[in-house]
Amino acid sequence: MNKNPYEVLGVSPNATDEEIKNAYRELVKKYHPDNYANSPLADVAEEKMKEVNEAYDEIKKMRKGGAQGAGGSSYSYNNASSSQFYSVRVYIQRNMITEAEQVLDTTPEGNRTAEWHYLKGMCAFRKGWSDQANTYFQTACNMDPNNPEYRAALNNMNGQRAYNYGGYNTSGNMGTNGMGCSCCDVCAGMMCADCLCSCCRSGC
Amino acid sequence: MVIRGSLVFGYLQVQKSELLVREYEAYKAVYCSLCRQMGRDYSLLSRFSLSYDCTFYAMLLMSLSRGCKGFEDGRCRFNPLKKCKYATDEADCLARAAAFSVISAYYKLSDDISDEKFFKRILARLLRPFFGRWRKKAAARYPRLDQAVAEMMTMQAEAEQKDGVSLDEAAHPTAHMTGTVFSLDTDDEMLRRVLYEFGYHIGRWIYLIDAADDLEKDAERGGFNPFKDIDADRLVQYETEVLNQSLARAYEAYNLLTLIDFKGILDNMLLYGFPAKQNQVINKDPEEKDEQKSI
Repeated sequence: MNKNPYEVLGVSPNATDEEIKNAYRELVKKYHPDNYANSPLADVAEEKMKEVNEAYDEIKKMRKGGAQGAGGSSYSYNNASSSQFYSVRVYIQRNMITEAEQVLDTTPEGNRTAEWHYLKGMCAFRKGWSDQANTYFQTACNMDPNNPEYRAALNNMNGQRAYNYGGYNTSGNMGTNGMGCSCCDVCAGMMCADCLCSCCRSGC
Repeated sequence: MVIRGSLVFGYLQVQKSELLVREYEAYKAVYCSLCRQMGRDYSLLSRFSLSYDCTFYAMLLMSLSRGCKGFEDGRCRFNPLKKCKYATDEADCLARAAAFSVISAYYKLSDDISDEKFFKRILARLLRPFFGRWRKKAAARYPRLDQAVAEMMTMQAEAEQKDGVSLDEAAHPTAHMTGTVFSLDTDDEMLRRVLYEFGYHIGRWIYLIDAADDLEKDAERGGFNPFKDIDADRLVQYETEVLNQSLARAYEAYNLLTLIDFKGILDNMLLYGFPAKQNQVINKDPEEKDEQKSI
């Protein structure tokens, strides 16, 4: 597993410290656990993140100039462990979807709580059956609207459903364009810039 | 039965206007090399089954194996006056993609014979013996490719026989086949999982976009279509959502691949080419001639 740290970060060995830092930040953003919250590939992303962190540390050590820490890679997952479907959660975490579904499917009708629907959705999602997952997540949210876990899963779902980079929109009637800069983005950007400006001024 | 998205359709295309010129030339070179490979391995006629989808497959394989070490000058076999570039290939990627192309074409033709209208059926009957021979040759060299496509055919037939089959179930055979094909011959377990997931959602997307494309045709002759029970007023929205999600999940997996060669082109396809194609199909826009032709 001894990879060249420069290759891991995708930079040339002659890159400046600044370039390396930028490449590192880009990769951290790319492999961030938030992007893979429900994905069956979450562990792969985590592994990649570890690799990137190690490579960055190694380069810094080699260059001996680094003053900063490697950046936080201590992300935690908030899994409720005190649930009646604990075993199902463990199965899902280990990607043992058939086993998880078996437990869920043998649950009597009366015990099919919001969590049951959420976990059913999670199983479907892991299998790639996104549409079914969507229905289950929605039911879970309807049954327990205040649960942040179910809400997050549904939001993640809606985010994916809205994904449409689309490039050039020659058809012109598509409202959403993920890559583009909508007027909202522009406004928000201006507001941010304005805040920063006023900060500086008050400092002077 | 309706077989969809056996990678003979051409949904996996680039957005030409967003490519760098050198990327466009590289893409063209891979396309031409694949065409030449099919001529060499099978025959002149087999070249007509070449699609953008298989070019994408070849490109992905070449990018993963880093088997393309450069380009060489040559002339087009169809038009000797036209000069073109060919990609070198040291990792057997082109031959594999060519085999996949004839195998898919063969199964598609078999499906057409039982499923299509009169003229198409006749044409399929005429062509099938040729493709049968090439398929045998391809299957002898790449048995697992043939196995994956054959398995998809059986699963698809089973899925469509069932009552009230869900959209996910209907898309699963094609998705599973594509995932399997993308992840063949990968020893690294982690990479295999990423490639399977990537292929799964690309395959699912192809199946669903083809279904969206054929919805009217299927409604006319009463064929199976996963979108047929959706209300007309929320159809476009629904199609957009499920297709978006497939692409988003494919992109998620794609981001975990470490690619160097052809990365710009593959990025272009995932971020611009496929979504643009999707919008065009869903909004029923006429195909843009300039984007489509002249490779």
